[in-house]
Amino acid sequence: MPTVNLTQMNTHEIIQKVVEFGGDGVVKCIQCGACASICPVSHAGFPLFCKQLIRKVQTGYEEEILDDPSTWACVACNRCVEVCPRGVNPTEVIFAFRRIQANELAISTSSLMSQSNLYEKGHAVLSGESKKLRVKVGLPENPPTSVNDEKAQKEIQTLLDNSPMADLGIF
Amino acid sequence: MEKCGLYLGCNIPFKAPDIEQSLRQVFPPLGVEVVDLPGASCCPAWGTAPSFDIDTWLALSARNIALAEKQGVDVMTGCNSCFGVLSEAKHVIDASAAKKDVVNEKLATIDSAYAGSSKIYHIGHILHEKIGTEKIKKNLRYSLDGLTAAVQPGCHLLWPTKSMEVTEENPFFPTMLSDLCGALGLRAPTYSNIEACCGMGAMRSTDQEKSFILAKEKLVRMKEELNPDMIVTTCSSCYLQLDGAQKIFRDRGEIDFEIPVFYYTQLLALCMGADPAEVACISDTPRAAIIAEIQSEQRRMK
Repeated sequence: MPTVNLTQMNTHEIIQKVVEFGGDGVVKCIQCGACASICPVSHAGFPLFCKQLIRKVQTGYEEEILDDPSTWACVACNRCVEVCPRGVNPTEVIFAFRRIQANELAISTSSLMSQSNLYEKGHAVLSGESKKLRVKVGLPENPPTSVNDEKAQKEIQTLLDNSPMADLGIF
Repeated sequence: MEKCGLYLGCNIPFKAPDIEQSLRQVFPPLGVEVVDLPGASCCPAWGTAPSFDIDTWLALSARNIALAEKQGVDVMTGCNSCFGVLSEAKHVIDASAAKKDVVNEKLATIDSAYAGSSKIYHIGHILHEKIGTEKIKKNLRYSLDGLTAAVQPGCHLLWPTKSMEVTEENPFFPTMLSDLCGALGLRAPTYSNIEACCGMGAMRSTDQEKSFILAKEKLVRMKEELNPDMIVTTCSSCYLQLDGAQKIFRDRGEIDFEIPVFYYTQLLALCMGADPAEVACISDTPRAAIIAEIQSEQRRMK
């Protein structure tokens, strides 16, 4: 009976990279489609949903998919992880590929804003309206978080300055 | 009284602080003291450090969890994404002594340390498992008897079960939020896409129109199958999407109905007699009429 030699696929460089960035389950996928059947990214019509991404990686595509934003639409819902019968952990493969994209700066400008917000104030999401809204509901202008806490901000900055993210010039 | 660390995240304190107020008001009468976690940062959101470098993500999450550990309390989050990020980080760190060492080496540079002693809960889990529906019922001043809710638990409350302290019997057919609504007297039947994603978060910031496909499908099925008086969710992202996108669909002429949306503790606070000007006053889809109905004289419990 003809068989698929899964170990043979390891020769593709992109597979090695995905494994290195945390997606080591990628080699176990047999393309059964269980993940795709319940994936919100697939349902919404993004072309490079979990199963497709894994197939592209397994067959050695990299350049062709590096700029595809589909992976950034993944909300990390983890339905795929729950249903995968092969222990592939598709969410982790998607995030491994995102890390490869991020390290090539194949990311959107809105994503860059989140990184600098995190670095400056310790919060990826901020709102210009927040102080007004908080006072309106009877809360102090600032929540007891890093947003108004210089020591906490410095701690976040220290962790980020000493990370590979610092080499990308995104802060 | 049991204490629990309230991890705020970003969306709740900055975009929906009326949800924060509701959290602060409902827990003490139910026997849970809310402890702040001063200096807590973003969890960090899936689109930030987790999308760049695993160890940086784990260190930032561990720093947040360590703030609770220092006070000897567990963590409760109101935001599903924060719940997912923190639970997953804890799951990964606790599974490997080597990983824990890497994280603590990073934390040592900021005079912090992660032990693994605090658990991560979602507020829905605290309400359902620790407080329980019977205690909730005893603290109500208004009953929602006869009203119908369409519930939206939100993705990260349901999966992945391997990294969560509390899980649904079958996360593809969730029942906890329906139980919590039932405690208020609400009818909260299941519907065909009850477990489906609303499209918020990373999907909306990547492609708004594709994200709206999911949001609209959800809203239309809720309307057609349940004709609900309100939507009730335990996810702050789902709240922002179902409330905000709904208005956009109406303005575009794509839907012709209006369903008010509540985060569960907002509704609970109203039923406990809280001031709507504090706990439910920020929304794109109007809620004044249903709030007046909820706190009307005929709904006051004897």
